[in-house]
Amino acid sequence: MLLAMHGIRKRFGAVCALSGVDLRVLPGEVHALIGENGAGKSTLMKILAGVLSPDDGDMRLAGAPYHPTGPRGAQALGIAMIHQELNLADDLGVVENIVLGREPRRLGWFDRKAAVQRARVALARLGREELVDNKRIGDLGPGPRQLVEVARALTLDARIVVMDEPTSSLSQEDTEHLFAAITRLKQAGVSVIYISHFLEEVLRIADRYTVLRDGRSVHTGAVAQTSEPMLVRHMVGRAIDEVFPRVEHTPGPPLLSLSNVAGTRLPVNASLTLYRGEILGLFGLIGAGRSELLRVLYGLDPVRNGDVRVAHVAGRDAERAHDVPSPRATGTGVHGRAPWVRLAQGVGLLSENRKDEGLALTMTIADNLTLSHLSHGARFGFVSRAWQRERLRRWADVLAIRTGGPALDANAPVGTLSGGNQQKVALARLLDMDIHVLLLDEPTRGIDVGSKTEIYRLIGELAANGKAILFVSSYVPELLGVCDRIAVMHRGTLLPAAPVADLSEATLMTQATGGAKT
Amino acid sequence: MTTRMGLLASAVLCMAIGCSGPGADGRTGTGKQAPPSDQPQSPERSPAKEPPRTIAVIPKGTTHEFWKSVHAGANKAGREAGVTIAWKGPVREDDRAEQIKVVENFIAARVAGIVLAPLDDKALVPVVKDAIGEGIPVVIIDSDLSFAGRVSFVATDNHAGGAAAAQRLGTLLGGKGKVAMMRYQEGSASTMKREQGFLDALQKKFPEIEVVSSNQYGGATTETAYKTAENLLVRFGELDGIFCPNESTTFGMLRALQDAKRAGTVRFVGFDASSKLVEALGQGQIHGLAVQNPFAMGNLGVKALVDHLAGSPVDKRIDTGVEMITADNMGQPPMQALLSPDLDKWLK
Amino acid sequence: MAAGKRTQDSRLTTVSDRLVRMLKWLGPFLALALVIALFAGLAPDRFLSTYNLKTVATQTVIVGLGALGMTFVVISGGIDLSVGSLIALCSVITAVALRAGHGPMTAVLLGVSSGVLAGAVNGLLITGLRIVPFIVTLGTMGIARGLAKYLADEQKVDADALGLSGLMAKSPDPAWLLVAPGVWLLLGLAVISAVVLKRTVFGVHTFAIGSNEATAHLCGIRVNRTKVLIYALAGLFAGLAGVLQYCRLTVGDPTTALGKELDIIAAVVIGGGSLAGGSGGVLGSLIGAFLMAFLANGCTLTGVPNYVQEIIIGAIIVAAVAIDALRQHRDSP
Repeated sequence: MLLAMHGIRKRFGAVCALSGVDLRVLPGEVHALIGENGAGKSTLMKILAGVLSPDDGDMRLAGAPYHPTGPRGAQALGIAMIHQELNLADDLGVVENIVLGREPRRLGWFDRKAAVQRARVALARLGREELVDNKRIGDLGPGPRQLVEVARALTLDARIVVMDEPTSSLSQEDTEHLFAAITRLKQAGVSVIYISHFLEEVLRIADRYTVLRDGRSVHTGAVAQTSEPMLVRHMVGRAIDEVFPRVEHTPGPPLLSLSNVAGTRLPVNASLTLYRGEILGLFGLIGAGRSELLRVLYGLDPVRNGDVRVAHVAGRDAERAHDVPSPRATGTGVHGRAPWVRLAQGVGLLSENRKDEGLALTMTIADNLTLSHLSHGARFGFVSRAWQRERLRRWADVLAIRTGGPALDANAPVGTLSGGNQQKVALARLLDMDIHVLLLDEPTRGIDVGSKTEIYRLIGELAANGKAILFVSSYVPELLGVCDRIAVMHRGTLLPAAPVADLSEATLMTQATGGAKT
Repeated sequence: MTTRMGLLASAVLCMAIGCSGPGADGRTGTGKQAPPSDQPQSPERSPAKEPPRTIAVIPKGTTHEFWKSVHAGANKAGREAGVTIAWKGPVREDDRAEQIKVVENFIAARVAGIVLAPLDDKALVPVVKDAIGEGIPVVIIDSDLSFAGRVSFVATDNHAGGAAAAQRLGTLLGGKGKVAMMRYQEGSASTMKREQGFLDALQKKFPEIEVVSSNQYGGATTETAYKTAENLLVRFGELDGIFCPNESTTFGMLRALQDAKRAGTVRFVGFDASSKLVEALGQGQIHGLAVQNPFAMGNLGVKALVDHLAGSPVDKRIDTGVEMITADNMGQPPMQALLSPDLDKWLK
Repeated sequence: MAAGKRTQDSRLTTVSDRLVRMLKWLGPFLALALVIALFAGLAPDRFLSTYNLKTVATQTVIVGLGALGMTFVVISGGIDLSVGSLIALCSVITAVALRAGHGPMTAVLLGVSSGVLAGAVNGLLITGLRIVPFIVTLGTMGIARGLAKYLADEQKVDADALGLSGLMAKSPDPAWLLVAPGVWLLLGLAVISAVVLKRTVFGVHTFAIGSNEATAHLCGIRVNRTKVLIYALAGLFAGLAGVLQYCRLTVGDPTTALGKELDIIAAVVIGGGSLAGGSGGVLGSLIGAFLMAFLANGCTLTGVPNYVQEIIIGAIIVAAVAIDALRQHRDSP
């Protein structure tokens, strides 16, 4: 037994984050830690890494009592964290980043030779020695950057490496590299605690797993003796027969059409027609320009070239018609349109980056829900709090938005909600307006399985109600499970969309990596 | 930086003065519990148990040497009268708002009286009115306030100072010759009075002396005064005497004379003193310096206030005098006291 | 904590959560009460005298008005370093207008509207050139100061105040006003600002921009337009402060309020404003301004030297920010 955590408890003010968690990690194993968002995984790992101290419970590392005094203490004892948000200095090279804070010195000077040697050894253990030549880490993609973090952990003589959602921003290829590296670590006797929402990955890479639910460890076992449905059942506490519920919907007339749209850098060229009542998937590797396309469409980034048309939808409530500044607004917009114009036209964007863009985390739930259309509930410029609460109650019912407390507190900061509930608030903001074209950028990223399914169902229902949905995702199974058609973006160029029936994970990956054009 | 709201002079300072034991004159108060029994002023106003009264002295600024002399003079008068002197002023000499706050806070602190060197003849009027409304008398020092309600105005008589300079220069020249006066700056009341006093006295007492130039302004800094002086010297190749109305113009003129190798040959009378000017006086390059008496300004300002509080009549205008310092008298003790006063004795 | 009573627990903790939030809100009040109690204990007759209270109230007006505008700016995630210079500029403009023979109303309007204009210029430069507010207002700080000196011919501007000085008279006419009309103006504008900030679309948008500008863009808020409005509003308050500074000095002084922007920012920060944006409040800023005025006044009355007072205020600023940071650290899992 390398690590034994027993009966760990921790609470933050109102929230009881952990109420009795056991976790046992063997030497040289990959141990998956799974659970819905808010189950307590991050808190548990922060305790392990010495960032937080537990209120109660017992921890032993290799038999000895383990009481880390802060993150540095934990590091010294061989615990390394690879964070979801990578902690790398963009302007430094790979070598500098790997030795950052523990630079080898000779006579007080930075000993570059020793640093390179140390970095080379660490990278070699991951099978990516060639990265040592990189001079500026900001130029690397997310996959190699992740590996640099791991290499950095290795130079610390880590006995346990904690990886928190390491693949959520990685392409298939980078994921493979990461898995290869994990296998090497395992062979070297290093244990890996692997946190992920992707259950297929867990089944593939992990040896054993522990499931957390509501701040407790509910199940632990060997991966070889389980299956995806079983894991899901442990996680959500109920069986989910279908992860991708189908809601019948039929495409209608076109609502949004792009011809040869180009942004300042990305996208390079995108043409597309999106129909009413249709879910169109958009796939591609990180950096292919999918998010950029949505941003250009929505007016967050300028359009350099091309034509975006938003069809006028009859029956939009007349009250809002005056928001549209000119008749041209419903037509073409070569120079791009500001977001407020797009919103007035019925086009809304759900950001992929919930924390940095999607929500104002320090503002209240009610404010976040109504931020884009405050004036709808305002009289003489005064915001109606009653109206805000009423809207929140409605969407909390429809989307099942939940907080830790017994009742939903409209005035609590939205940052106090779990990731899934935050995403529902961001989505509710769009739905609360008269939006007909929904641009959804990674709507299920970092969300637990239960919430994902709810969002899939919601997307289906929206399509059935005549909305047009552009669904960007890096997760092929959900695209195949939810969409009517899928288009792949490769290096800024949008390839023609094809019906889901004609596609498979393999064909999508081929297109995305530029292997062959259909 | 935080609010530089005005403050009382530190209690520490006041206590130190109060507790410094027998002063040079042996009349100093013995501490705050027991006010001096020999205090001559209005014994009926200060019953035995009352701590010494406080008089606030507010300068235009706190950094210049001039104000240190004022402070020393005020402390001397304070010790002699058995009152505590609270010394506080704005840091910058153009911070009117700050000086108003200082006065306000002294009013709130219920000081017995205020001695004020106003930064502005108008801006300080409302707050001085406030003080008088609250029963706190105000003596104005250094430059005047356009408000008649003050107890007294204690300052150099600049007109007389200018006249003294004229007297010196006229005597030196034997009542004949060509004289130039380089003015300081438009709108500066004190120097304009000196210039006028000089011209008036010259015309009256030495009518044969010809003033060849009196319309050139040296400007605010030594730099500008230097340039103007150079131009003047070029224009008037033959000059017998020169007068400058303040330190910067005097120094600028001195530098120009030195450059032109005419220092010592032209009779030169200046105003105010600095170590460079005193040095030139010793070397015979300057022949007279009219020097104000800031020590007396602080001293007489406080005395006037103490007298007023005691119910004695006080003159509305008190002249602190101007001394003419020359190479001959600069060694004498009274002049030395003006040129390098022993301030430490009164500031400790 | 005992498990099994989760609902009760969470109800309890919601209460304690509210308490924490209330404490944060109350913090500046408590500090102010503490300062007043301290000095009232040290010098009761002087510190609590009517005259002294009137004095402190009047002394707070200039910084207080500046802090109202700065509250909006800071909440939106910006900063305005030009406010001290704008106060000087507007006071000079008021004086120049009076000297040129205009009536008091015209002069006040000119003073205030030049503040609005200068503020709008700040906003336009920030949004138009996409330069950070710190740099833009650092520049306009110098420009406004220079303009003030130019307009004043590098001297103070004498002009008959035509009764305007009554606005800042500690003993007001009529006497039932109790304090200077300027104090009432400050309090009235504070109430209006608080309502605008908390209740209007503009106020919520201000918070949104400061909380997360990207979100504000995403939500279709017209960020640039709102920012220009915010800086113009700050200019309005600076203009008013400038006019009142003239009323107090009765001369237009181009060198006045030098460094005042830092006092104003300090008031906002003590009152709970975060320079990262997204938090702050009018009431807090006002309390911050009063706190600093009371502290300075109390130190003077009790004979504490200048430098001690500067150290204390510096410590309070650090403490205010540190307490907030600690609270946030504790709150976040």
